[in-house]
Amino acid sequence: MRLEKCWFCSSTVYPGHGIQFVRNDAKIFRFCRSKCHKNFKMKRNPRKVKWTKAYRRLHGKDMTQDSTFEFERKRNRPERYDRNLAENTLKAIKKIDKIISDRASDHIKNRLKTGKVQRQKEARKQLELGIHLVKAPLALAQDSSLCLPKIKVNVSQAQTEENQPMED
Amino acid sequence: MIQPQTYLNVADNSGARELMCIRVIGASNRRYAHIGDVIVAVIKEAVPNTPLERSEVITAVIVSTRKELKCDNGMIIRYDDNATVVIDQEGNPKGTRIFGAIARELRQLNFTKIVSLAPEVL
Repeated sequence: MRLEKCWFCSSTVYPGHGIQFVRNDAKIFRFCRSKCHKNFKMKRNPRKVKWTKAYRRLHGKDMTQDSTFEFERKRNRPERYDRNLAENTLKAIKKIDKIISDRASDHIKNRLKTGKVQRQKEARKQLELGIHLVKAPLALAQDSSLCLPKIKVNVSQAQTEENQPMED
Repeated sequence: MIQPQTYLNVADNSGARELMCIRVIGASNRRYAHIGDVIVAVIKEAVPNTPLERSEVITAVIVSTRKELKCDNGMIIRYDDNATVVIDQEGNPKGTRIFGAIARELRQLNFTKIVSLAPEVL
């Protein structure tokens, strides 16, 4: 059993999922679902389709170089079964998964940091320029022309008695 | 899904280039042939100066189809064209070389000679 990568979106293809297409030159294209397969049939270039890993890596949205990628290299030599090795590998997979996801989210956070700083700067500038439009809450309470007047409404007892026969 | 009148490529060096299916072998009213099925075909195009000639009726086994093949382990494989290998009555290939990738299912169907000659089996 082998976990392959989808040719189009680079997600993992688990056994029993997806379609494999064999071209006449014996190159195999594996797809994780019909969405990727249909895009391939449309001759779309995954490097230009925004939601694929290929696009994201190419345009610097996701991290491209990391030492943890070494763990996912394709190995063609099967390992002899060793119980300890299998146990340690399973533990390591969990830990490496966490490390990879942490590093990926850090990468994205760093990428979005400049935008956040820019937006805060712009907001501060807008506040400085438009401070005359902002009134202090104390001034709003004291100045009666800025608030809607409060109206008192009396609810009489006779109205509730009339409603009772209708509910029966 | 190969049926009579289907044109198929030939994936070996037997001398035929293109075949047209005449009959699907298996049952009296059998509609379609898939990978691993034997068909009777007529040669529509042949390489000159070979033992096989145009408009000769021969048997062939289908080795790849554009219709997906569903394997027992859950894999679904689709090829790029419909191709056959020309065989004789016993199931031995008439040619000496096979071109292209061959599906593993042929081994279970006793076409071991074809599988052994294939450059790639998947």
